[in-house]
Amino acid sequence: MYGLVALGYHITWATSRTMNFSQGHAVMVGAVVAYAMFVGLHWPFPLALVVTLVALAGFGALVERVAVRPFFLRASPAWLLATIAVGIIAENVAQLTFGKDARAFPSPLVQKPIMIGSVGFYPQELLVPLVGLLLMGLVQLFYHRTAYGRQLKAVAFNPEAAGLMGINIPRAVMVSYALSALLAGVAGVLLAPLLNVAPQMGTIIGLKAFAVAIIGGLTSAPGIVLAGLGYGLVESFTAGYISTRAREIVGFGLVILVLVVRPWGLLGEKPTRRV
Amino acid sequence: MTERLGWLALALAAAIVPLLTANTYYLYVVISIGLLTIVTAGLNVLVGLTGQTSLGHAGLYAFGAYTAALCAARAGLPEWAAVAAAVVVTSIVGAAVAAAALRVTGPYLAMVTIAFGLIVEGVLIEWSSVTGGPGGIFNIPKPTLRTHYWTVMLAAAVALWLTANLRRSAWGRACLAVKSSEVAAESLGLSAYYVRIVAFTVSAAFTGAAGALFAFLNGYISPDSFTLQTSILFLLALLFGGLGRIAGPVAGSVALTILPELLTGLLDYRLILYGSLLLLSIYWLPEGVVGALSRPRRGGGRALSPHPALLPSGRGQGEGAGATGPLLTASGVSLSFGGVAAIADVHLAVERGSIHAVIGPNGAGKTSLLNVLSGFYAPQAGSIALGGRSLRGLPPYAIARRGIARTFQTAQVFGGLSVQDNVSVGVAGPRLGAVVAALVSSPGSRAREAAIQSRAQAWLDTLGLGDLADEPAEALAAGLRRKLEIARALATAPLLLMLDEPAAGLSPAEIAALDRQLTALREQGGPAVMLVEHHMDLVMAVSDRITVLDYGRAIADGPPDTVRRDPAVIEAYLGAST
Repeated sequence: MYGLVALGYHITWATSRTMNFSQGHAVMVGAVVAYAMFVGLHWPFPLALVVTLVALAGFGALVERVAVRPFFLRASPAWLLATIAVGIIAENVAQLTFGKDARAFPSPLVQKPIMIGSVGFYPQELLVPLVGLLLMGLVQLFYHRTAYGRQLKAVAFNPEAAGLMGINIPRAVMVSYALSALLAGVAGVLLAPLLNVAPQMGTIIGLKAFAVAIIGGLTSAPGIVLAGLGYGLVESFTAGYISTRAREIVGFGLVILVLVVRPWGLLGEKPTRRV
Repeated sequence: MTERLGWLALALAAAIVPLLTANTYYLYVVISIGLLTIVTAGLNVLVGLTGQTSLGHAGLYAFGAYTAALCAARAGLPEWAAVAAAVVVTSIVGAAVAAAALRVTGPYLAMVTIAFGLIVEGVLIEWSSVTGGPGGIFNIPKPTLRTHYWTVMLAAAVALWLTANLRRSAWGRACLAVKSSEVAAESLGLSAYYVRIVAFTVSAAFTGAAGALFAFLNGYISPDSFTLQTSILFLLALLFGGLGRIAGPVAGSVALTILPELLTGLLDYRLILYGSLLLLSIYWLPEGVVGALSRPRRGGGRALSPHPALLPSGRGQGEGAGATGPLLTASGVSLSFGGVAAIADVHLAVERGSIHAVIGPNGAGKTSLLNVLSGFYAPQAGSIALGGRSLRGLPPYAIARRGIARTFQTAQVFGGLSVQDNVSVGVAGPRLGAVVAALVSSPGSRAREAAIQSRAQAWLDTLGLGDLADEPAEALAAGLRRKLEIARALATAPLLLMLDEPAAGLSPAEIAALDRQLTALREQGGPAVMLVEHHMDLVMAVSDRITVLDYGRAIADGPPDTVRRDPAVIEAYLGAST
């Protein structure tokens, strides 16, 4: 399930060599907005979902406009800090409007667990990886089969040349941010019933997703989805056999290990140094 | 002068506070400022000098605090010993973390450091037999607030003094060079990885000291003080105050300690405040408050000390005299990018003290060859040896240390350093001395510094850049940048100097000057020169030997006159068959 969020890092990285460090906060915004529409206003679920996704695309575009574009062509890590800044502002706004406490998000798919032997899981937990795989497939199709997707890839490869070919680079980057936040929104809606909805949920989700993106390789969508599944499994095993807390320690330890052995990720491209 | 007055005023203000007020709250606030100053001064070494971002320094802060707390509360050590132990432990941890984490840079590093911070936080909570778990450690024997005030102020002053020393030393320049152009820094013999590890370790030591002093402030510590928010606060204070500036940490720490205290009523809006502050300071204060306030000062006439106007002696002469055989030999070197052969089976021998040109049409593989010889690309086949010793598999900085210096097709000068400091980086090369000596500005370190600067000045004078010594390097015009790059490469006292299209974009007069300088270099017994160049007049005039590449193959090799008449060369250049 982290794969879905991590895919968002991949999309913006692939286009602009930048990423939204508050991707996790986008998940949180998705969950909070969906909660407000669905539970707060009693809207039908499909409508709430559509509104949430539109709102998230807008959020992504906003992040790009405010925190990334001013720094995109400057080779400075300023965008990194700027996106973190937007994230903590979003968290605070959510705290003020939504409240600090976590709330449960009702879903028919978490009513009763399916039991296989002694292990029980909710149908919702199956839904998450399925949707993840589906969206990954769509993203891949978009990049490889559509003209616009290919334009985005061109921007990633050489922004200057792509700009000369008439590609609107700022728009391309903005689109990738909107898309990336949209995925985060989907993840937010899917995860909301499993975790509880809370403004503080963003940071840790974002970090784990980033961990997954690094393990899988930022440049490889399939790598990320695989790593997402693997990471989820490792986490549940650690939580089951050692302790819930150890989960995070083992997970992040894994990232450091991957970075030391294979800094470009399991399926990522090894970067070539340009001299 | 005004700067010195400013520091004096600051010291006075810090000294007066405890005399004016008996209110412990104010002392407490100023101590917090001091602690934040120590952390950010250290972080400044990493972020400001090497340009790498850490969001895990709260983890190091925790290491300092818990080490000191355990030493004092459990082992009963006195405060100074506990702080010293904390610094040692944090330095070791910092070096270990850096060695693993700095294999990556930029956003990856930010992520790894975040992960480190979270792991530390997790361990603090979980390992309760040692750390006291979520409750933390109590009953740390603490000094009186007033005593502690003086300790922290003194420590903060020392921290600032140390970083100021470091910034002015060969280490400071090496850090800035790595930040500005990793490739160019490696071509001068600096290992970017190693320089960053040292910078990270220094920042860890500072953070550890601050953490230890923090433990003695309240007498208890708990994991709550060492979260990701704390790491962000550290970074924010530094950015807000002014990255890379010595006074930046002070300004940032004052602002970010006092502001939340003033706005305690707005506690709920704290994150919005931090976030906006961070955004605003990135937008409008890229150099922080301190950078915005200080006017850029132009050096008003450097005192010219007398210097002998001859070529500063280098390694080039002595070693070359006794040795025999060609200086550099490359045989059977091949390199391909994804099936496209950039260089195919090239043989080459550069004689000592000679000027050896490599020419060929665009895309013939000249620059690729240069990149292979200097270690930036690993060839798929072939062997390369300098003075009979193989260079195979060596990283660029190791090859530079063996005595190959180079320039780049697009001149890579170190922005953020003055013209003279650019050359000083070359003079020092990997010989940076002990970082501790640089921090405390020991007599040995100062003597080394004086020697480096006089050598650098001599090189600038030799190449006619003496008047520009104090200019920022990025302000130079293209032609002067190339010249500076050559001065910097020569300053490493190489055995072989590789120039990648040094005449590109130069005016005819500048090319003539380059011609004279190259011949003068040869006459004065300078290094051998390998010249990749398109400008035929220059090549024919100065070269002793020419290798012609076409489609990655060496199609001719010999003295200029032979090569000029070679039918294969004529065909490659004119497309005419005879």
